[in-house]
Amino acid sequence: MQQRNQYQSVENFLNDESFRKWVLEGQGNHEWEEWALENTQRAKLVEEAREWLLALHLPNETISLVDVQLALQHTWNKIRAIEDTSGKAKTHFRPLFWWRVTASVLLVSTLLGVIYRMQSDTLPEPQQKTHSMAEQTSALVEKKNITGHPLLIMLADGSSVLLQPNSTLRYPPVFEEKERKVYLSGDGFFEISKDSEKPFFVYANELVTKVVGTSFRIKAFSDQKNVEVVVRTGKVNVSAGNSDQEGLLLLPNQGVRLARQSLVFEKIEDLTKEKNHSQELSNIERLSFEFTDVPVSQIFKTIEQAYLVKIDFPAEKLANCYLTTSLSDQPLSEKLKIICESLGGRTTYAINENKITIHSSGCN
Amino acid sequence: MDANLPIDEHLWLRLIEGDEVAFTQLFQRHYSTLVSYGKSFIKDTDRVQDCIQDVFVDIWLYRCSLNHSVSVKAYLFSSVRKRIARFYTRDHIFRHTTSLNDVEFSITFTVEDRLIANEETAVRIYQLNRQINSLPPRQKEALFLKYHQGLNTEQIAEILNINYQSANNLLHRALVQLRRELKGNVSLLLLLFSELV
Repeated sequence: MQQRNQYQSVENFLNDESFRKWVLEGQGNHEWEEWALENTQRAKLVEEAREWLLALHLPNETISLVDVQLALQHTWNKIRAIEDTSGKAKTHFRPLFWWRVTASVLLVSTLLGVIYRMQSDTLPEPQQKTHSMAEQTSALVEKKNITGHPLLIMLADGSSVLLQPNSTLRYPPVFEEKERKVYLSGDGFFEISKDSEKPFFVYANELVTKVVGTSFRIKAFSDQKNVEVVVRTGKVNVSAGNSDQEGLLLLPNQGVRLARQSLVFEKIEDLTKEKNHSQELSNIERLSFEFTDVPVSQIFKTIEQAYLVKIDFPAEKLANCYLTTSLSDQPLSEKLKIICESLGGRTTYAINENKITIHSSGCN
Repeated sequence: MDANLPIDEHLWLRLIEGDEVAFTQLFQRHYSTLVSYGKSFIKDTDRVQDCIQDVFVDIWLYRCSLNHSVSVKAYLFSSVRKRIARFYTRDHIFRHTTSLNDVEFSITFTVEDRLIANEETAVRIYQLNRQINSLPPRQKEALFLKYHQGLNTEQIAEILNINYQSANNLLHRALVQLRRELKGNVSLLLLLFSELV
């Protein structure tokens, strides 16, 4: 601090961190003001240096923390992309577990199910995907259903998943740009929002189910021999493990059984013949969402039963409201949206965990 | 590891050893500042961000060949400057540059007017500010690096890719020049004032 007694020029002051702090932030340690006034020459110099600093200001344009995080994520993505291509992968590299099966057929159908049981020890983590998993694992939400009844999970794109007991779903709070990926261990019924630009993938043990928009059920327990895929409606690509072969096409009333140990696909032509199947249907798979002139209170009841939620709605206002609508194959958020739009009158809904609140002024 | 090293240099050493968390922390500490710096050359925020992210990507991929003892901040600024210069020339935006590393620093210093006490001072300060902003780009950049980024002459020399003496001259010239101009203008202003009063 005594050095300042030697200061001859403005530059000396400008170089002094403590001086800068005093001028710009008013941090008055070292009593600059008093020291400056000790003689006129010094005071003039200090004043000049001070003016300099004030004339050399810059607006504080910082990037928000969120944007920095996004940039960081982007940077890691670039790094991984380069590491992946240059490092271990060959052109047609596929991890041992997976072979890709691609096919898609859009068919509206009645309930179908093909049950395959697969054996696996862990959640799907194919070699190739470890990087993206590693990137994402910190960002994935994990929901385990430890209750005795199905648990409703809403995803960022409006899709809904009914997670059965003893099952776990891992999903990102916000989906990536090009794909929507979730990881299932156990039993879940999926209703996926349509987005042709962003296919939806469910990784369940050795099976990868690719959907664009549809409803289906997957059963993939770690201690079971097969993986089940039950398709209700829509478009389903079933990919299994790591292979270059073409995928299997699932049509209504058909199914695929994937024996986990041998990774052998067996096609089932008619699901209705499956004996065990009908007993294991969850409410949502049994109930019909085709309504013709049905009071809206009943529609709400059906939704409550299917999704195990509680719906709070203005009963008197909606007492004489009847709807004709098809809500099949729509995720819960879509169902609610359709109902609100059909009722009109500024009807809105809000979801909080498993409680849904309907605000409405009636359907006239 | 030296416990007396400043944080950045600590993180740098860990990064070289492959510590991803260290990389992340360095990124978070410097990204915003580097973007501001980058934008003083190119206005396109997206391009600037791309360049800076690419700098970090290379730092990670080639971490094994990094020098252990560097001034991290100077290294980052220097790398960003080079990358933007390369990108700039490739884009053929800057036609009258001869050297590959010549990008023009264009930033506008402002006046911190909330700290100005009176009218008279304000006039002087605004005048000074105008002069500063009309300095040659290299001098402005030197001022920026020194007084806003806290870098020393040696580090500034590295970033601007010139020798120590040249960097010193740049800084010195800026201040001397301005003081000369200011003195002249102030007398003129005083003259004007006295006429008016």
